Amino acid sequence: MKVLVAVKRVIDYNVKVRVKPDNTGVDLANVKMAMNPFCEIAVEEAVRLKEKGIASEIVVVSIGPKASQEQIRTALALGADRGIHVETDEEVQSLEAAKLLKGVVEKEEPKMVIMGKQSIDTDNNQTGQMLAALMGWGQGTFASEVAVDGEKVNVTREVDGGLMTVGLKLPAVVTTDLRLNEPRYASLPNIMKAKKKPLESVAPADLGVEVAPRLSTLKVEAPKQREAGVKVEDVAELVDKLKNEAKVI
Amino acid sequence: MTPEQIVTELKALLDDGKVLDDPENLDHYGRDWTKMHAPKPVAVVFPRSTEQVQALVRFANEHRVALVPSGGRTGLSAGAVATNGEVVVAFDYMNQVLDFSPSDRTVHCQAGVITEQLQQFAEDNDLHYPVDFASAGSSQLGGNLSTNAGGIKVIRYGMSRDWVAGLTVVTGKGDVLHLNRDLEKNNTGYDLRHLFIGAEGTLGFITEATMKLTRQPDNLTVLVLGLNDLTNTMDVLQTFQKQIDLTAYEFFSHEAMQHVQTHGSVQAPFETEAPYYALLEFEAVSDQVMDDAMTLFEQCMENGWVMDGVISQSETQAHNLWQLRERISESIAPRTPYKNDISVIVSKVPEFLREIDDVVTHHYPDFEIIWFGHIGDGNLHLNILKPEDMSKDDFFGKCQQVNKWVFEIVERYGGSVSAEHGVGLIKKDYLTYTRPPEEIAYLRGIKQVFDPNGIMNPGKVFDLD
Ligand SMILES: Cc1cc2nc3c(=O)[nH]c(=O)nc-3n(C[C@H](O)[C@H](O)[C@H](O)COP(=O)(O)OP(=O)(O)OC[C@H]3O[C@@H](n4cnc5c(N)ncnc54)[C@H](O)[C@@H]3O)c2cc1C
Ligand SMILES: Cc1cc2nc3c(=O)[nH]c(=O)nc-3n(C[C@H](O)[C@H](O)[C@H](O)COP(=O)(O)OP(=O)(O)OC[C@H]3O[C@@H](n4cnc5c(N)ncnc54)[C@H](O)[C@@H]3O)c2cc1C
Repeated sequence: MKVLVAVKRVIDYNVKVRVKPDNTGVDLANVKMAMNPFCEIAVEEAVRLKEKGIASEIVVVSIGPKASQEQIRTALALGADRGIHVETDEEVQSLEAAKLLKGVVEKEEPKMVIMGKQSIDTDNNQTGQMLAALMGWGQGTFASEVAVDGEKVNVTREVDGGLMTVGLKLPAVVTTDLRLNEPRYASLPNIMKAKKKPLESVAPADLGVEVAPRLSTLKVEAPKQREAGVKVEDVAELVDKLKNEAKVI
Repeated sequence: MTPEQIVTELKALLDDGKVLDDPENLDHYGRDWTKMHAPKPVAVVFPRSTEQVQALVRFANEHRVALVPSGGRTGLSAGAVATNGEVVVAFDYMNQVLDFSPSDRTVHCQAGVITEQLQQFAEDNDLHYPVDFASAGSSQLGGNLSTNAGGIKVIRYGMSRDWVAGLTVVTGKGDVLHLNRDLEKNNTGYDLRHLFIGAEGTLGFITEATMKLTRQPDNLTVLVLGLNDLTNTMDVLQTFQKQIDLTAYEFFSHEAMQHVQTHGSVQAPFETEAPYYALLEFEAVSDQVMDDAMTLFEQCMENGWVMDGVISQSETQAHNLWQLRERISESIAPRTPYKNDISVIVSKVPEFLREIDDVVTHHYPDFEIIWFGHIGDGNLHLNILKPEDMSKDDFFGKCQQVNKWVFEIVERYGGSVSAEHGVGLIKKDYLTYTRPPEEIAYLRGIKQVFDPNGIMNPGKVFDLD
């Protein structure tokens, strides 16, 4: 079966982000970008399905600026077969992303779409659910285990206080949680081979979607700085401060 | 003076509470990372300023009391060990950054500033302090300079020595000297700054240092390559260095990686099993550099030097790949490793390493040998693991024998018996393999000038006669 994997280019997980002085967003200038960690897990899961002989072809799609092709190439190096780049410099919000993915799904007709449960830049956790709704497909979100069984897939989900397994009819949307798998590294020989794999570029208009943000960001703020502690000279001073300043005893 | 009298006098010299003589603290502050010698100091003192250190040194000279400088006590040569009724002088309370000059790109620190604190200070000011190693979270600047610590970025940034603009020291005689005045250029005779760097506290105390900072590295990218053979470490190094300035070049054996994997959940870089691995790091500042790296990798594959390889695609991956190298020490620690830190000039590394490996495996086929190190600068860490069924004493006894063979090879290759860990007590008996007697006589002469009464860290590095 054909599997479609969505990957997003986001700020590298390890980068300490800085809020722009005017509070309109975070500073992206010269900041290291990488594949969203949950998308890495999605790619890994698809590759494992292919290694098990369940998936026959893996198509990877990314929506975003030209540079998103780097993340598609990474996915190709990890084992995806071909890439589709939906190129736009506009801000793409969840609903538009879901509509664009729906366009790709209708063209490619995969049996399963695997994507991250959320992207670490906006933390929305809704694109996968929206896509499933738009397609009228079942959804297995927060997957920690994916077991394909003929025309069905059992998805084990991490829910508060335990695990829940849902059985979905294929085609379906699966979104990945952290413990689904441990993604491999892209090997250098595979990175080189990936350069020759097909990568097609399409515009949102080709998919019949107009990308226009519906939500506007009012303000972005850094977390409150913790105030430095003070050293007290002795126990008496500590007790005094607890009593008279903190008023806790 | 009796120990009690010393403690009373010290308490008069320093603030209350900055003199400790309870058994627990004496034990704690009397030793470094090596834990091979039983500590036995009379007191631990915590000065807060250069003036207080000077007062301590004057006191020590007057009463002929020996002093042991103590930093983060992560040293691996028993340099900061007090076994003989000394007073331990700890810099824990001299941990302030005193001044910062963005235009000079220098930062003036007290000696007790933790290495990581300095790194973090630089980063907070959009600059970089590049000396780094696994103990940076505990070691102090004073200890780093007194051992001239190296670490994982030496191939690009040099040793601790290369980052010192100026030093404030209290000599063993009790004089306070401000060495080099933080100048970039200052050709006015002997540069005493460099005598104190690497002196392991035998000439006096380093109390303050002005350290240089540099720009932050850009997009550090890590390659891990599986090598077919030891000599390939040099082939790969030379190939990459022709075109790319590496910020690190480390190597480790398959056995070393296996220990890391069993010890913690660190992922193998690839499925291919190679006898040796190289870790390269560089700044991927442009697509051109990335393309160059790919081409160089292809060359290495075509020449049959490299079996497989990965490249980090994110900072997270770069960090995780480093774990393969950085976690080796801790993962073999439960096996009581016998450690040697040796160096030769880079081009001789493969031959040198093979010769030592042959000698050890020939005489002790039961010993497991773990090789890793900063191979890009000719520095190798030889670790011999204790067989489970051998007693500690028996094992260390046999390792003394191994030492002799290893150091004879070091001598023959013109190498060093201690590349970056210093001499302290542990390498003292082997100093002559690297430094001939006439040279050691000069060291003694220098010691005599700065510390005529021999109160500074006596018995470390060399004996007085
Ligand atoms: C896990 C681990 C990894 C390590 N990796 C490396 C590595 O990669 N490269 C490397 O070079 N080293 C390494 N080391 C060794 C050690 O961490 C360094 O040598 C470090 O610089 C020692 O600093 P310290 O403050 O702990 O010094 P200490 O151990 O406290 O002292 C070291 C020596 O300096 C003297 N001294 C301390 N402070 C002063 C002072 N203010 N004035 C005068 N003398 C002083 C002491 O008397 C002693 O002789 C490692 C150690 C560990 C435990
Ligand atoms: C036009 C001009 C431009 C200059 N520009 C610079 C500059 O930009 N930067 C700079 O640093 N200098 C500069 N200099 C100074 C000078 O050229 C340098 O200091 C140079 O290094 C001196 O080398 P020399 O062989 O001429 O030494 P000499 O003048 O012969 O000797 C210099 C000192 O070294 C000692 N000495 C010489 N050989 C040995 C030896 N083998 N062993 C032990 N001691 C020895 C001598 O006794 C003397 O004390 C300049 C000089 C001139 C004339």
